[in-house]
Amino acid sequence: MAHAAALEIRHLNKQYIVDNQPMPVLENIDLSINPGEFISVVGSSGCGKSTLLRLIIGLEKEYQGEIRVDGQPIVGTSLERGIVFQEHRLFPWLTVEQNIAVSLLNANQSSKSKHDAVHAHIEMVGLKGFENAWPGQLSGGMSQRVAIARALVSRPEILLLDEPFGALDALTRSHLQRELQTILRQEGITAIMVTHDVEEAVYLGDRIVVMEPRPGRIKRVVDVPLARPRDRGSYAFAAIKADVMADFSEVIAPPEPAPPPTHGLSPSWRFSW
Amino acid sequence: MPAAKHRQQQPLPSLRALAWRRRAAKLDYWLWPWLLPLIILGLWWLGGRQQWLGSQVLPSPGEVLDSLTELLASGELQRDVLISLERVLEGFLLGSALGLALGAAMGLSERASDYLYPLVRLIAYVPLLGWLPLLMLAFGIGETLKAVLVAQAALLPVALNTYNGIRAVPPHYVEVGRIYGFSRRQALWRIILPAAFPMVWSSIRYGLTKSWLALVVVELLASSEGLGFLMVDSRQLYRLDAMLVAVVSIGVVGFVLDQVLAMIEKRILRWRRAGFAS
Ligand SMILES: Nc1ncnc2c1ncn2[C@@H]1O[C@H](COP(=O)(O)OP(=O)(O)OP(=O)(O)O)[C@@H](O)[C@H]1O
Ligand SMILES: [Mg+2]
Repeated sequence: MAHAAALEIRHLNKQYIVDNQPMPVLENIDLSINPGEFISVVGSSGCGKSTLLRLIIGLEKEYQGEIRVDGQPIVGTSLERGIVFQEHRLFPWLTVEQNIAVSLLNANQSSKSKHDAVHAHIEMVGLKGFENAWPGQLSGGMSQRVAIARALVSRPEILLLDEPFGALDALTRSHLQRELQTILRQEGITAIMVTHDVEEAVYLGDRIVVMEPRPGRIKRVVDVPLARPRDRGSYAFAAIKADVMADFSEVIAPPEPAPPPTHGLSPSWRFSW
Repeated sequence: MPAAKHRQQQPLPSLRALAWRRRAAKLDYWLWPWLLPLIILGLWWLGGRQQWLGSQVLPSPGEVLDSLTELLASGELQRDVLISLERVLEGFLLGSALGLALGAAMGLSERASDYLYPLVRLIAYVPLLGWLPLLMLAFGIGETLKAVLVAQAALLPVALNTYNGIRAVPPHYVEVGRIYGFSRRQALWRIILPAAFPMVWSSIRYGLTKSWLALVVVELLASSEGLGFLMVDSRQLYRLDAMLVAVVSIGVVGFVLDQVLAMIEKRILRWRRAGFAS
């Protein structure tokens, strides 16, 4: 079993170069996350939430500051850190089953145990019977569930989630929220989840990081000292939700996830790393 | 219950109309592609009958058919088709393999594309026949010349499209590979290639068609066998009926070759249709 990892972010700054001008996207991010903790991140569109996750997962090389996992500075990507992207990013030429197995390609397991793990996770996200479907045949919500299964099946120590439930119906969403919570507890996984849904942030988070835009900064961190499973109808729950909402309402956040950022158009993309 | 009665009355005609419409649509699907060819064939037949042009200039469909059976009976047509097929496959395999290698090198390596891409683009603007005089000097007019020209016809489109296909692979997909610790080789085989495949394959199909046309042209100019030769030879003997047999055969063979590749494509690219059909 993977152990949950601690995450330490110190004086993190990130710029993108736009029209030869450095554009600050993240400014002076400081955050310490304990092993097994669940952090919700909320903030208006464009305030750098996805960028923060890209940095932690190890996809961005250029940044200032420190990102440490269990005390070790991160170097590139690692099988110990998993991510569910804002867009599902399934490979259209692979079936559901094969897409999930992608994350076990380089795992140290027998093919039998890989196969079992894949099927257990297909069942978990409620896609039994769709093992051999192509992503083109799935709805947005189903695709996102496949992406969640793909991220979980390799049992990472830290799981990053970028609005994973944005495209789901309310029923599936609350079902998966509960599932996710159980799995993370069982496996002992540290999680950071970006969401636009404040209720979701309160329901799942041990702490809620509220970010503000231009450049992206942490406005404040809200503790959620409620016992689990949480009662969404309770007074304490509503009070925390209202508190975070108050922060949020200054800049009106769009209810739906924005279209994927156009990383694809970076002019100098190279197949190399 | 007036509502139920109303319901019983209404659906029948509308259902029938629907069935008719569907049948008509099917007819459309089958009829329209054949309409123009049939009209042309009809005019041709009529023209032959009415001696509009004289059979010296335009033999009638009947004469062409006779000539076809004659050429088949003597085995001459089969021999020419086989020879042409062999030549085209040889040159095409060579050319598309080189094109794939060249395109992949340019797509994957910055240095390779810096060195090669401008030259490849430049060459692509010179028509195929522009090379013929030069290549004739270099290779004579034997089989080598044909292989080189046919190969070259496939090489350029395949190289350029492989290059573009690889460059167009969404970086999002490559990032997924990075997250799961794919090696370069894994990323190449499991991400870059499948993602670029549709574009590469369509250029391979296009390349085969171009190879085929190139071969016929070289056979016209420098050959003593093959469908292209059958065409010029018949023309020189004023056997226009045989010449038309050759023309039709060239078209049919080209079409069949492309259909074979289309069938392979359908199989490999199942996932592309999956979202729509079934
Ligand atoms: N590759 C890039 N090049 C240039 N600018 C970028 C790039 N990626 C993101 N940005 C910019 O960085 C800022 C933060 O983007 P990011 O995707 O992190 O926002 P976000 O908080 O996730 O927004 P959303 O809630 O809409 O997903 C945006 O202004 C965006 O335009
Ligand atoms: Mg985002």
